[in-house]
Amino acid sequence: MWAQIINAVLGIWLMASAAILGYSDVKIITDNEHIVGPIVASFAIISWWEATRVVRLYNVLPGLWLLLAPWVLGYDNGLATTNSMVAGALITGLSFVKGKVEETYGGGWSAIWKSDTLHAREARKQPRTDLEG
Amino acid sequence: MSKKEAIPPGWSYNPASWGQRLPIVIAAMVGFAIAAYMALFQFKVIDTVWEPFFGDGSRKILTSKTSQILPIPDAALGALGYLVDALAGVIGGVRRWRTMPWIVIAFGLAVGPLGFVSVLLVVLQPVLYDSWCTLCLSTALISVVMIGPAMDEMLASLQYMKRVKDANVSMWKAFWGYKEVQGKVL
Repeated sequence: MWAQIINAVLGIWLMASAAILGYSDVKIITDNEHIVGPIVASFAIISWWEATRVVRLYNVLPGLWLLLAPWVLGYDNGLATTNSMVAGALITGLSFVKGKVEETYGGGWSAIWKSDTLHAREARKQPRTDLEG
Repeated sequence: MSKKEAIPPGWSYNPASWGQRLPIVIAAMVGFAIAAYMALFQFKVIDTVWEPFFGDGSRKILTSKTSQILPIPDAALGALGYLVDALAGVIGGVRRWRTMPWIVIAFGLAVGPLGFVSVLLVVLQPVLYDSWCTLCLSTALISVVMIGPAMDEMLASLQYMKRVKDANVSMWKAFWGYKEVQGKVL
């Protein structure tokens, strides 16, 4: 989970970095960071919980985009380029850190469509419940 | 009935327990209060809006064209969304993942779009209006934080629906929690 806390902080950092590092007059760089930042922070926060930990992988794409953005969008600011590259590399790398999953979830999300899953097997083992809700 | 029976098969805990649900309900109520306050400003019931960090930011955002894109101001819609989330979080007992899947799935689906729209609005603030709004950011954070903990319960309900399907029991009746199918599938 620590990895996804760092990714959330990196997302929020991207929202603030243009103002802090002083290139907020360059619209294209600032806009890019203001769009990617909240997305990264949101995916990271959602993956704080074990049942939705898989959402951390959604940050691989925004992370890789931050590595490419200085060239695709033609950044003319060294500081912004460095910031984007470092943040992008960290976000991409940390997205792959799964961390501890201590609870069990009946086989997880794929168990909704697959057969012979943990929840189906466990349900067969248990006695039927009575009609009480 | 024992507490253990409320735990979905193959799970180590019950995602529909009050300990799991109450924090989300409280978060939704806080979100509702903040959104309702901003809606009062948008309805011109109050003249000023609290903004500790970004100067005129909140006023700019809350009176922007985007905020009036729909017939009712966006904060009022947000308040309604949080209220629906709080209600959907509070209805039903600790076995509701199988006794009333409809509310659990509705809850999960209500939390998702609210979070998505909040994040979209957070992106639009600086990009279109070059300003930030502290309370809008706070409500967005609340709606994103609510997504994770709401999803585990929905997962339990969806797995239950899968077992219902495999047992050839009416999915329609199980979804709405008809008494006649209760207990037929664990």
